[in-house]
Amino acid sequence: MSTVPFRYGVSLYSFTDDFGTVMTLDDACAAIADLGATGIEILGEAHVPGYPDPSPAWIDHWRALLQRHRLEPTNFGCWLDTRLTVTRNMTATEGAADLARDIRLAARLGFPFVRPKIGVVSFDLVPDPIWEEAVERCLELAERSNVVICPEIHAPTPIRHPVVDAYRRFIERTGTKHFRLLIDTGIFQDRPLPYMPGETPEMRRDFLNGIHVDPRDFLEVAPQVCFIQAKFHEIDTNLVDQQIPWEKIVPALKQARYGGYLSSEYEGERAPWKSLEQVRRQHALLRKLEREYDARQGA
Amino acid sequence: MLERTLVQTTGFHNHGPEGRRSGFEFRLRLPNYRGMRASLFDGVDVTVDGERFGFESNHYLVGGREYSLPALREAVDGRWPLGEAAVVRVPKAGGLAVGVHEITVGVRIRQPYIPIEFQPSVIVESRHATVVLP
Repeated sequence: MSTVPFRYGVSLYSFTDDFGTVMTLDDACAAIADLGATGIEILGEAHVPGYPDPSPAWIDHWRALLQRHRLEPTNFGCWLDTRLTVTRNMTATEGAADLARDIRLAARLGFPFVRPKIGVVSFDLVPDPIWEEAVERCLELAERSNVVICPEIHAPTPIRHPVVDAYRRFIERTGTKHFRLLIDTGIFQDRPLPYMPGETPEMRRDFLNGIHVDPRDFLEVAPQVCFIQAKFHEIDTNLVDQQIPWEKIVPALKQARYGGYLSSEYEGERAPWKSLEQVRRQHALLRKLEREYDARQGA
Repeated sequence: MLERTLVQTTGFHNHGPEGRRSGFEFRLRLPNYRGMRASLFDGVDVTVDGERFGFESNHYLVGGREYSLPALREAVDGRWPLGEAAVVRVPKAGGLAVGVHEITVGVRIRQPYIPIEFQPSVIVESRHATVVLP
């Protein structure tokens, strides 16, 4: 059986702390294109000057950059900041208004996916219940705008979890094609992150040691996954990832016939320009593993 | 573009006329990967040469508007864009002496997607910065 090729992209989140201090949007686009990647993922309230109302001149510049570097917009990150003030939570109406604003902006900038990061109400990251009404009110707009809304499944929430079940029930109940899941590969982390400066074992939050989701769990949700953020922290000079088991993840994604984006999300040390090198190593590693898998299938 | 450090080199100066200084101010880079609603910014603890100026008493110029802490906490329509420094205004009779100071900030931000038990996030950083005679 022939395999479905991955598409490769980079999230500008990778360049956190570099972006706006030692790197412009033009630099970032050039670096992504130099990898041979085709997709660019952004965070609206980080990378769009004047958010949520960028100037027409900036939008022209954005479109010119995409054209020059042959990049396509992939995912637009936004937030449902449900704990609105110290004393007041967001209503579903307010949440729907914020999400609608972001869908409109994302569509204007050419993005097919919109990821709302939803505020939580519990220690184990149960999203604020307003999410369901806020999203449902935006489904028609999403359909008109050719946008898919995709909350992210992010550590410490594994694939087999009531939060994911609730999202899947929502898809079934509404029958919508405009709400899907985004998987952050941090859930597959199986070795600990290095300690931060000043962090002690007593301070350590368990999930930083990895939540060890079995990559084969992806097969259960694959039909409802539209996008993957390829989260990672450190890849050494031998192209060995120190936390994320790509040699197990890539075959699982392939078996699931995932043909969407792998969008690099570097989340390691923020030394200036280190992110650029780390993203290159990740693309070298992922493409090598994909080639090897395909070769095995052909053999 | 902004400097990498949270406290920016430029913009560190006193308020008020010489001899009757009322305080000082500095420019601050947002220690986050995204811009935020102003109401999610919860002020800054400032320490200069060992003297502490609590986040409750400082004033904040965010997205071109000045807020006290109570006003900032209700500023759901204001925004702190990632690419723009905020200005922290600290009341201090007499201001700061001309010269090099050690300044430490504890920047308080609220992230609704992080469990409330871990909020606010406080990002601490120190540097030396210089006040110049106008």
